Amino acid sequence: MSKGRVLVAMSGGVDSSVAAAMLVEQGYDVIGATMRLFCYGETVPDRPCCSVDSITDAASVAANLGVPHYVLDLEDRFKREVIDDFVAEYARGRTPIPCVRCNTFTKFRDLLAHARALECEFVATGHYARTVDGRIFRGVDRGKDQTYFLWGIDRSVVEHMLTPIGTLTKPETRDYARGLGLVTADKPESVEICFVPDGDYAAVLEQHLEPDDPALTAGPIRTETGTVIGSHDGYARYTVGQRRRLPGGSPEPLYVLRIVPEERAVVVGGEAELFGNQVTLEEVNWLVPPLQVGDQCDIQIRYRARPVPAQVTDRAATGRLHLELLEPAKAITPGQSGAVYRDDQLLGGGVIC
Amino acid sequence: MSEIVYFDHAATTPVRPEVRDAMSPFLSSEAYGNPSSGHRAGREAQAALDRARSRIADALGCAAGHVIFTSGGTEADNLAVLGTALRAHLEGRAFRAIVARTEHKAILDAAGAVERLGGEAVLLDVDRTGQIAMDAYRDALARGAAVASVMWVNNETGVTHDVVGLAELARDAGVPFHTDAVQAVGKVPSDLGGTAIALASISGHKLGAPKGIGALIMRVPDLIEPLIHGGGQQGGVRPGTENVAGAVGLGEAVALAVAERPAAMERVRDLKHLLAAELTAAVPGLEITDAADGAPHILHVTIPEIDGSALLTHLDQAGIACSTGSACASGRVGPSHVLVAMGTANDWNGSALRLSLAPTTTRADVDALLRRMPDVIDRVRVLTAALRGET
Repeated sequence: MSKGRVLVAMSGGVDSSVAAAMLVEQGYDVIGATMRLFCYGETVPDRPCCSVDSITDAASVAANLGVPHYVLDLEDRFKREVIDDFVAEYARGRTPIPCVRCNTFTKFRDLLAHARALECEFVATGHYARTVDGRIFRGVDRGKDQTYFLWGIDRSVVEHMLTPIGTLTKPETRDYARGLGLVTADKPESVEICFVPDGDYAAVLEQHLEPDDPALTAGPIRTETGTVIGSHDGYARYTVGQRRRLPGGSPEPLYVLRIVPEERAVVVGGEAELFGNQVTLEEVNWLVPPLQVGDQCDIQIRYRARPVPAQVTDRAATGRLHLELLEPAKAITPGQSGAVYRDDQLLGGGVIC
Repeated sequence: MSEIVYFDHAATTPVRPEVRDAMSPFLSSEAYGNPSSGHRAGREAQAALDRARSRIADALGCAAGHVIFTSGGTEADNLAVLGTALRAHLEGRAFRAIVARTEHKAILDAAGAVERLGGEAVLLDVDRTGQIAMDAYRDALARGAAVASVMWVNNETGVTHDVVGLAELARDAGVPFHTDAVQAVGKVPSDLGGTAIALASISGHKLGAPKGIGALIMRVPDLIEPLIHGGGQQGGVRPGTENVAGAVGLGEAVALAVAERPAAMERVRDLKHLLAAELTAAVPGLEITDAADGAPHILHVTIPEIDGSALLTHLDQAGIACSTGSACASGRVGPSHVLVAMGTANDWNGSALRLSLAPTTTRADVDALLRRMPDVIDRVRVLTAALRGET
C-alpha cells in the first residue's frame, strides 16, 4: 500500500537523489522531476547543479530507482520572479537571496501546481530540513541546515512537503547514495547561486541592466561623516560587511556599512560600526500563528550565521516586523532574510529592509 | 499505470518476430562466421550477407552491390553528405552540400561539419507546407555541389518530397542526389529503379529490424570518401567486419515492409484519418500540420497555448507514447527546427505532437488513444493557464 504520491524535485545532485531514494524505500509512489529554470546555453559552463549533465544524472538516478522522471519547464516564471527580482534588488543597493524566492514561488508554488495536476499529495526536495506535522525544523546536520531559505513558503503548503534527508548528515547522505550505487553519490557540492556562473553575480547584472544603470556606474566611497575616500565602479558590486574593493591606507580595516543608492554612495567605516541591534523585516510570512509584540524568538540574519535572541517590538500595519536583538549582530544587510526561529523550529521570516 | 498505447513508431518499432527468427542463427553458435574468412563458416556468413543485400536490392529496385551496410540511418546520412563532400574536396570539385532546413539532424549536422572543415553548406528554405523553394534549389544546383540531399518523408511532420523530380534536376546539373529514405521505405512507394537518385539512407529499427543496422544505397560508384578506415570490407566505403545478424534482419524487414506496403499502408492511412478527424473534433484549437497528407503513418498536430514539458509528462502518465515538439537536451520543449523552418512556430506558446502508426497499430489502439488524449490535453491546458497567469 503506497503512502501517497510524491513529486520529487531532482536537481541531479546527491541530496535530491537520496531524497527520492529514501521516499521509494519508505513506500511512496515517487515521480521525479527536474525543473528547467534558465537557459542552459553554450555560454554557461558546465555547473554541478544546473547543467544538461545534471538532467541526465537525475534521469539516471530515477531510472535506477524504477520511477518516472520528467523535465518541467519553469523558465518563464523563474525569470520573472527570481532572476528579475535578483537584478532589481541589486539595482536598489540591496543584497538579495534568490534561493528564498525560488523556494517560495518556484518549488513550493509552481512545482506544487505541477504536483497537484499529477495527483501528487506531496512535493519533496533534498533540503536539509525536517518537516513534521506541518511544521519546519532545522536539519539534523547543523552545518548543512537549509531552513533559512524556507521561511517564505505558504503555511498551508508545509503539510504537503517532504524533506527526508533532513534527518541525515551530509556524510550519511553520501553513504546512502553510495550504498545504492547512485551516479550522483560523489558529485561536488553546489555552493553557488544556480544561475550565476562562477559566482560572478556582477556579470549577471551587466547582462540584465543597461550599462549606464546607476548601480553599475561610478560613485563615491565615503565615511558616515561624509568624507569621500575614493570611488567605486557601481554600488551593486558591494554588499554590507564587504572588505574587498575598498581603498587602502586607513588606520583600521574598512568595511561597507551601507549603500545609499540615491547618492550612488558606498558608505564605509570600522568593524565596530557594523554591529547593530535593530532589524526590520518586510514581506513577512508566518509558518505558525504570528508572533506578537513582546514575544521572544531567535533571528538568523544570514545563511550560516548564528541565530541571535530577539524580541518583537512592533508589528506595523504595513506588514513590517520590528525586532530588537538582545545581543548585537554584525552586518545586518538589506535584502538578506531574517528567519525567525524558536529553538529548532522555523516560525517565519521576512526580508531585511 | 495503464498499459502503454504506442504511437511513436517513427521513433522506433519493436523487432518483428519474422526478423528475430531470421537473425537468430547468426546470434548463436549455429552461424557465427566472419564473412571475410575463407573457410566454410566464413563462406556461410558471406552468403547470408549477400542474400540480405539481394533482398534489399530487390525491394528497393537497385543492385545488390549498391547496398552498403552501416550502423544505422545517421551513419548512412553522414556518409552521404560528409563522405561526398570530402571526396569532392579531395578531387578539387565544389566542396559544398545542399540540404533542406527541415532535414534530420544527421543531415544538418553533417552539413555543419562540411562547413567547419572549410566547405559550404547551402540550406534550402521551405514554405509553410514544408516544400523546398525550387528557385533556390535550382540556383544552388547551378553553382555546383558534392551532393544535394532532400529527405523522402520528413520524420517529424510526415511531409513528403518529390525526390524523383528533385533528383532529375540535380542529375541534369551534374550534382549527385541523396535522399534520407528512413521514413519512406515500407511507407510510401520507394522504388529507386529508373530514378536519378544516386544515394539513399535506410534504417532498420524504423521497420521492425533492431537498432544498430542501416544501409546506404550507393547507386553511383566512387562518390564517397570513407569516414572510417579499416580492412577493406564493403569496397572500403564502410570497412569493418559486417554486422551479419543485423544485415540479415534488415534484409528480412525491408523485404517484408515493402511487400506488405500497399495493403498495410492503406489501412494505416485510414486509421490516421480517423484519428485526425476525431482528435480535431475533441480538442479545440488542434491543427493538423501536413495538409497535403503526405506519409500514411505520421500524424503531426499542433496545440496552441499548452506547456510542452507538462504535456510530455502527462502523456506519459496516461500511458501514451508519442513525441512532442522537439525537446532539446535540457528539456525545453520548444518549436523544432522543422516547424521554425516552415514558419509555423512564430509566437510559439504551444506544443506539437507527432503520433506515428505502424501496420501493427489497431483500431483498438486508436480508440484507447482517443479515450485518454482529450482529457490529458484538457488537464495540461488548465495547468498551463494557471502557471502562466500573472502573479
